[in-house]
Amino acid sequence: MLRGAIAIFRRDFKKFTSNPFMLIMTLAMPIMYLLIFGNAIGGTITGIPIGAVQEQPYVHETALYSAGIDQLERFHTQPDKPALFHVRVFTGEPMAKKALADGEIMAYVVFPSDIEPARTIRLYMDSSEYTVPALVQSGITGAIAATGAKNPIEAVNVYGVIDYLQFFGVGVIVMAIFMTTMFGGGLALIRDREMGIIEGYFVTPVKRSSIILGTIGSGTVKAFFAGFIIFLIDIFIAGVIIRSPDDFLLVLLVLFMTSIGVTSLVVSLASRFSSQQEYSSVIAFFSLLLFMTSGAFYPVLGMPSWLRWITVINPEFYAVQALRSIILRGQGISVIWFDLLALAIFSAGAIALGIMTYRRTLE
Amino acid sequence: MAEPDQGQVNNKGTGTVKKPDKRGQETDNLVIARDENIIRIEHISKIFRTGHREVIAVNDVSFDVKKGEIFGLLGPNGAGKSTLIRILTTLMKPTSGRAFLDIYEVTKDDEKVRGIIGVCPQNSTLDIELTAYDNLEFYGKLVNVDDNLLDERIWELLKMADLSDRAHSRVSTLSGGMRRKLEIVRAFLHRPLILFLDEPTIGLDPEARREVWQQISMLNTEKITIILTTHYMDEAEKLCERIAFVDHGRLVSLDTPANLKLAMPAGELIELGYDQMNDSIISIIRNNHQVISVEKKDGILQISAKNGSNLLPVLIAEFEKSAITITSISIRSPSLEDVFLYLTGKKFGDMTSDGPVIHSGGSL
Repeated sequence: MLRGAIAIFRRDFKKFTSNPFMLIMTLAMPIMYLLIFGNAIGGTITGIPIGAVQEQPYVHETALYSAGIDQLERFHTQPDKPALFHVRVFTGEPMAKKALADGEIMAYVVFPSDIEPARTIRLYMDSSEYTVPALVQSGITGAIAATGAKNPIEAVNVYGVIDYLQFFGVGVIVMAIFMTTMFGGGLALIRDREMGIIEGYFVTPVKRSSIILGTIGSGTVKAFFAGFIIFLIDIFIAGVIIRSPDDFLLVLLVLFMTSIGVTSLVVSLASRFSSQQEYSSVIAFFSLLLFMTSGAFYPVLGMPSWLRWITVINPEFYAVQALRSIILRGQGISVIWFDLLALAIFSAGAIALGIMTYRRTLE
Repeated sequence: MAEPDQGQVNNKGTGTVKKPDKRGQETDNLVIARDENIIRIEHISKIFRTGHREVIAVNDVSFDVKKGEIFGLLGPNGAGKSTLIRILTTLMKPTSGRAFLDIYEVTKDDEKVRGIIGVCPQNSTLDIELTAYDNLEFYGKLVNVDDNLLDERIWELLKMADLSDRAHSRVSTLSGGMRRKLEIVRAFLHRPLILFLDEPTIGLDPEARREVWQQISMLNTEKITIILTTHYMDEAEKLCERIAFVDHGRLVSLDTPANLKLAMPAGELIELGYDQMNDSIISIIRNNHQVISVEKKDGILQISAKNGSNLLPVLIAEFEKSAITITSISIRSPSLEDVFLYLTGKKFGDMTSDGPVIHSGGSL
């Protein structure tokens, strides 16, 4: 019995050590878990952009207003971390409101025009981010209390109450697109090659460009459907609200751009790897890395700055951000244009890369 | 005015007597069929370089294949058959030399070439997750079969492959023989001019092999040229009109099976089993003018000789004289295998079948 077990053990081990690539990936995976998981989730959120404005009629800056701003700027949740808020002062309430609607700030405080202790301090918050509204509310309450003022605070959730399921559900749309394509589509492509199906194409008059178009096309549609199904689940089960047909079409546009980009990227990656095992290990690494840093789980604000650099080049981040803007905040092109641009650059690059590397395997 | 005259000349040349109105056309076809070589291979070589090692897979091979024949490429594994097929089917570029299929050159007009060939590769390229019908339909679209004709054609081929009742079964549920037949008819879907079958019966049981052979013969009645590679001698002998022996990348010999056998200097092979042997009798046998070669092997004396049936009584008398007991006697005319052995000094039986080879474009 032992002899057989040792033989199997040695065979497995020999294969493992003879493949340096798999060896590295085996080590990289837990390290990534430690670094990315540990830092991307549950980090201390600091530097939340908020606005401060004094109510009309504006006569002069009240003592409460200046003390409030001072306290907000200095407010810390933890002494060794940067300040909780990054305060921007507005000269009028409409301007602050617009900044919030455009996603430039996540909350704004409206101080009363006089220092009557009975006058309320109003607080408007972007409620679409996870944990941030609660932090803002407790932070602002704390800062006002530090000024010694006794004014009541009235908090308003601008986008209504959004629970975690809705926040997370929108991220899952993007995750579905990435995961199904990376695992399903890429592995299917490698399996097709192993089965000789792709080589079978080469002895037929079918054009190389047709093979590429067909492969990327089918992958894109599959990815799109995966995302669309989660989108429907978000609507009917998680209860997100689509405010207008324009928003709906905009969501489809983001889904499509993401799908074609990811599919092309996967086609390119799958062309580089000849074995399913190597491909899976690389894909598992990347899909987790991209998903963790996409902000789908936890606000990007809570990540250390080195991790935010990954976010900047992570297409999944832009897709999640665009979808949240449309679905949770009802924002339009004027807000998400940058996300769309980033996605377009990613997709165009991925398509070019996919065609190039896939074509090479077809030569 | 010149053309009818030529037709007249051809008519006289072939000397066939037929109804006058049909004659011209038929004879023209006949002339084309006889004279036209549908494949012309000119000094094809293929050298593989891996690091510092150089492997010459195909070494300066030239030959022609006639229109409408079943042509066999025969040789042991690693002889270069599959490489040659891959070059002819545009999957691989030759290191040097040219090859023409019909009027197209394989490296220059590769897309045109792919339009006139059907290929049944050694390793299956069927999608086992699709049904038999779906596989054919998919392939039909790849090879540009008219959509209006496709369905009818598929059923025709399924019937030909005796798979009509399994049309909507997944390929993964079909037996090895069924898959092979399906793959062969698939290659024939668009009525190609040339059909390449790379080891069509490898790994099949005798019953399935017979069925595949039947199918190949049936396809050939449709006037299609078939190039067949195999390392089974019986298969080549049964199916092929002409055979090219390939070994170590070189073309060793090319002829009809009958002519190849004639090329053997030995008329017949005599095998005599014995218990004990003394060497003097071997030299006596060797001195007989009919004997070509004598070889002692595992208790059997192999003698090739002209007119062996006459020689046999003489040999037996010699054995009796030397008081050697003969334990067995056999006499047979040479098989293709013997011809190959004679030409290459190699034995086919030593060869094992290839494992499945994954052709992948990956580079990591």
